[in-house]
Amino acid sequence: TPLGRARSLPQSFLLKCLEQVRKIQADGAELQERLCAAHKLCHPEELVLLGHSLGIPQAPLSSCSSQSLQLTSCLNQLHSGLFLYQGLLQALAGISPELAPTLDTLQLDVTDFAYNIWLQMEDLGVAPAVQPTQGTTPTFTSAFQRRAGGVLVASKLQSFLELAYRVLRYLAEP
Amino acid sequence: QCGHILLSAPIVRLGDQVTASCIINQNCSHLGTEWRIVWKLEPELHPRERQQRLPNGTLQSTITLPHLNHSRVLLSCCLHWGNSLQILDQAELQAGYPPTAPHNLSCLMNLTTNSLICQWEPGPNTHLSTSFTLKSFKSQDKCQTQKDSIPDCVPEDGQRCCSIPRKHLQLYQNMSIWVQARNALGTSISPKLCLAPMDVVKLEPPTLWALEPSPAMAPPQPGCLRLRWETWKPSLYIEQKCELRHQPRLGEAGWDLVSALPARTPQYELCGLLPSTAYTLQMRCTRWRLPGHWSEWSPSLELTTTQR
Repeated sequence: TPLGRARSLPQSFLLKCLEQVRKIQADGAELQERLCAAHKLCHPEELVLLGHSLGIPQAPLSSCSSQSLQLTSCLNQLHSGLFLYQGLLQALAGISPELAPTLDTLQLDVTDFAYNIWLQMEDLGVAPAVQPTQGTTPTFTSAFQRRAGGVLVASKLQSFLELAYRVLRYLAEP
Repeated sequence: QCGHILLSAPIVRLGDQVTASCIINQNCSHLGTEWRIVWKLEPELHPRERQQRLPNGTLQSTITLPHLNHSRVLLSCCLHWGNSLQILDQAELQAGYPPTAPHNLSCLMNLTTNSLICQWEPGPNTHLSTSFTLKSFKSQDKCQTQKDSIPDCVPEDGQRCCSIPRKHLQLYQNMSIWVQARNALGTSISPKLCLAPMDVVKLEPPTLWALEPSPAMAPPQPGCLRLRWETWKPSLYIEQKCELRHQPRLGEAGWDLVSALPARTPQYELCGLLPSTAYTLQMRCTRWRLPGHWSEWSPSLELTTTQR
């Protein structure tokens, strides 16, 4: 059963992951609050068209649903998603001097979390042979696009983290 | 230049022997015949001296300090020339010890500055200018092997602590950390720590509040107090446990402790106390189920129990 393999995940790893998700969610929420306060960009649903033109993807976590949990694939999707958002956050560099510290912290925390997932996959012997490389990331050509991109990336990251939190808590259940 | 000083070594161990020579050049022709070399030492010392004329005609005076017991000595090579004393050259001698290994290295992850702050004790005074450097590297295992290097952390002058910024940290991975001490006489390093920054997080204390009486709630029982608390906002994402201590404000009674309390609660009733008595309460919290350090105790909250 999927949970059989899950028992191979150390409890401390799962507790750290849960803490990291909460930390990144807090970082992301701060970025969203600051974008809303400073630039009146408060609702990602107002930026759907722009999101399509910029090509900001949503990372899948289909292997992590509790109905059809496939642990190895789920860990892989978790890592790939975090790696994707790490790249998207990097592309937002130069968003604005006031937001830069918040963006840096968010990116550092996402990078840390991706790295922990990768190490755990290596420990389990299920890590892909080659580390993933960043695909083409959106190009933000104006300050507005970087800020709007920030709202969209943060929003998609929060949704991704919500799913991740659910599966991690499921796996952490005694 | 008429004369110059040569030292066997500018910096030696305290108690070691030192020799210094002052050489008067031939081209110091305008001296005439009535002159002699005179050494001035600050503080005053009584070295053994010998003077010799070298084959090339220069005159060399050599002094020996068998056991240099001062950490700083200023040497001046002078000439008694006519009825004046002319200073030709000066040199400073230093003496001290190589650094011993720094000790009591400890580190805390500070969530306010988002940095890992490490402090240590330098060991006995070396009497010499000694630099301390906090060194570290990231490791994927228990610090046997280095994965990534981390830039040296150089403390501000005289400081015995250093702060590694967040951008050099992986909060949930082990890193090896040690302190290097170095001066002119040698280098030493402290024992190494192996830790993950988040496992040494130290939280700020929670905040305690009195619970205002409200019509929706019956008044507290005699000998009971009602309060609530909130953990420090930057640590909301961290699972924590807390403990509450209380003591009567007057009298000699010590602290009583209530442990294993949740990190946040909208309302808490503390009973089993003396009625109509003023109490001082404090709380502290720590990261829990995962390692961490206890916060300091919170500022006190003063509450009085109801009468019987």
